[in-house]
Amino acid sequence: MRSWLARRLLLGIAQTAAVVLLVFALTEALPGDAAVALAGDQPDPERIAAIRESMGLDRPVHQRLLDWTGGLLHGDLGTSLASGRPVATYIADGFGPTLLLATLTMVLLVPLGTGLGVLAARHEGKPADRLVSSVTLGLYAVPEFALGVLLITVFAIRLGWLPPTAVGYGTDLLAHPAALVLPVLVLLSRPVCTLARLVRAGMIDALASPYVAQARRYGVPGARVRYTHALPNAVTPATQQLARTLDWLLSGVIVVEALFVIPGLGTVLINAVAERDLPVVQGLAVVFGALTVVLNIGADLVAHRFAPRTEVAA
Amino acid sequence: MNTATETETDTHAELVAEIEGLRVEIDGRAVVDGVHLRVRAGTVTALIGSSGSGKTTTGLALLGEYPAGARVTGRVRAPDGLVGYVPQHPGAALNPARRIGALLRDIARTQVRHLPRRERARTAHERVLRSLALAQLPDSEALLRRYPHQLSGGQQQRVVLAQALLLGARVIVADEPTTGQDALTKQRIVERFTAVAREGIALVLLSHDLDVVHALADEVLVLRAGRVVESGPAARVASAPRHPWTAELLAADSALGRTESHTMQADAEPEPHPHRPAPVLTSGPLTARHGRTTVLRVPELALRTGESLAVVGRSGSGKTTLARCLAGLHRDHDGLLLLDGTPLPRSLRDRDRDQLAAVQYVFQDARAAFDEHRPVLDQVARTAVRLRGLAPAEAAAEALATLTGLGLTGDTVRRRPDRLSGGELQRAALARALLARPRVLICDESTSGLDPVTRRGILDRLAALLRDRHDLSLVLITHDLDTAALADRIAVLDAGELVEEGPTRTVLETPRHPFTAALLGRTRRAPSGRTA
Repeated sequence: MRSWLARRLLLGIAQTAAVVLLVFALTEALPGDAAVALAGDQPDPERIAAIRESMGLDRPVHQRLLDWTGGLLHGDLGTSLASGRPVATYIADGFGPTLLLATLTMVLLVPLGTGLGVLAARHEGKPADRLVSSVTLGLYAVPEFALGVLLITVFAIRLGWLPPTAVGYGTDLLAHPAALVLPVLVLLSRPVCTLARLVRAGMIDALASPYVAQARRYGVPGARVRYTHALPNAVTPATQQLARTLDWLLSGVIVVEALFVIPGLGTVLINAVAERDLPVVQGLAVVFGALTVVLNIGADLVAHRFAPRTEVAA
Repeated sequence: MNTATETETDTHAELVAEIEGLRVEIDGRAVVDGVHLRVRAGTVTALIGSSGSGKTTTGLALLGEYPAGARVTGRVRAPDGLVGYVPQHPGAALNPARRIGALLRDIARTQVRHLPRRERARTAHERVLRSLALAQLPDSEALLRRYPHQLSGGQQQRVVLAQALLLGARVIVADEPTTGQDALTKQRIVERFTAVAREGIALVLLSHDLDVVHALADEVLVLRAGRVVESGPAARVASAPRHPWTAELLAADSALGRTESHTMQADAEPEPHPHRPAPVLTSGPLTARHGRTTVLRVPELALRTGESLAVVGRSGSGKTTLARCLAGLHRDHDGLLLLDGTPLPRSLRDRDRDQLAAVQYVFQDARAAFDEHRPVLDQVARTAVRLRGLAPAEAAAEALATLTGLGLTGDTVRRRPDRLSGGELQRAALARALLARPRVLICDESTSGLDPVTRRGILDRLAALLRDRHDLSLVLITHDLDTAALADRIAVLDAGELVEEGPTRTVLETPRHPFTAALLGRTRRAPSGRTA
């Protein structure tokens, strides 16, 4: 176990390094550079050269890479071209709303998805299962923006129960829970379907297994058999899926944030792209990449716990 | 057929379970028909018969469990909730995601509900420890924290037995508890179950292992195709069988015991070959590892064309690893493999189609080696399509011919694997390997899970194959010296070392290594069965 963990962590470090290199290489490959972007609508070669010199962009590639990665190691993500503020403050500002949405979604997602999956598996082939299975399949087929627009139209505009967007609430969304209802519903819609279907499939296998038969045969109560003996076997594929969902949520779900005008990381990213603010884009890409690596290590650890036999690739 | 009149064993022992006129029908076909069974406290009742004879269905009826969609008639009386079950593969009855202690604690918890809340956990824990001790599992505190895959097969079986003991079972149904075990392990299992019966628990033993039945059973019921053909005290059935089928079962079993003058070569050609044929597969000195542990170290080995080599050893001796090295399934070794003098890549992935076809492997667990969703015939035919490039129709025809040659009907093999018995699947697996037209056929314990009649049948087929196909060589991996006796040569492995190798007769009659002698001593059965 310990050596497995060490190998997994080493792999994670290597993956993060690869992400950093890739982000740098992709930015290098873009036509033009930050100086061209900054020079504005009337690019004057002399002005571009001056900006290049002042930003150190005229130095060789490997030196800039060293500078940038050196900064990353010290937690310095660089400075925005548009405002001159450190990139870290952009991320700190946008992270609050994104984290809030992600947390709320996950807190609702896990019990709801698992519960629906177990419910469907218990009544396999019966009306309850057919209802859960067909509704989840149908809901999964609706893209976020379509569902978002539909919900806004019905609940905000027609019925007037909830605010249509988070405009005017700033980053302190927790003070305005009503504004969170619709975005969280949209974020929940597809992950709930995936999770419920994965748990259902895993539970059907687990409930038909000889070890569950043995537990039932020896008088262990039904609910206990389901949740403590069958479910641990059913959730392994689901944990990997949950890590993917959390990664998706934390990397700022651009469509949802844009639709509901939530000032999260997705919005920061869109604005940075619009302003060609390369350091901010780079910084966000590195943070998202590192987040993906960390979450997948976490998921592998959980999977390792629930399926101690399988060697999770490391 | 009438149990009551014939029961001479302790009729005073309490009758704890009873089956009367049980008939179980699936899709209109009776898998069990008119079975009567009486189970008394502290005695061992054995149900014997070949695979598919209805033993397991009868045993599970005592637990009130029947196959899905079965129509059941007859009367089953058993202590409600107090019947334990030790399945054939005890590992499957243990939850892979939970520690051993989880289910044991849950079983104990159902028994301590009447106690005050504070005492429940402690009492439950004590009960769990006591049951583990009864099942002969020492160091139980540490064991409770292990996962099933961290236990040996024997430990897994004892844990499953401990579950039944913890339950306070009056009857324990044990399904093939000794299948695939070596002689020493079998001995321990027999002792363990004897101790269980001594506790006053009625044991129902489902087995085709007649040695174990001789050693354990008080009463024997012989089943054939779902019907009881004979029943009575164990000693009487063994010494004076009344039904021809019983006699056949007993005869097949003792035929395997005859180790003298019955090698496959002796069948094939009376004179030893004057010119020894060229080796088809040779391996240089070979050291195999699992991770950092060296598990096998053997000097040079050569397998000649038309020859059969038996690799013998206890479980864990490295015999399967050797077979897997030859077949390309285990590549963490440093041996040089030569097929017809040309190097054979270590890994399956690097072998070309002809090399893949040349070395074929028949696994111990035939059921696990088939895809459960496709008819057996299709899967068998696929080998010829993949490895010999035959057209599907041609391959299917050849597959059907080979399967029929092995005694399977076309009807049977068009079904999916779950409708075939273990013996039938093992024959299908053999057919699948043969369809590749292999030069070397490796059988890894292919007959160990089978009843004597079926085992005898498969070994006869193998002998016939060696006779008919002159270019075929055979590697038999087995822990059973009776099976090994059918080969030309024997190699004996112990703890990863090759301790002895030579012609079968020499090894069996004048073993040079003490380990071989010890193995021989245990496997040779007593000249006559146990007499009361």
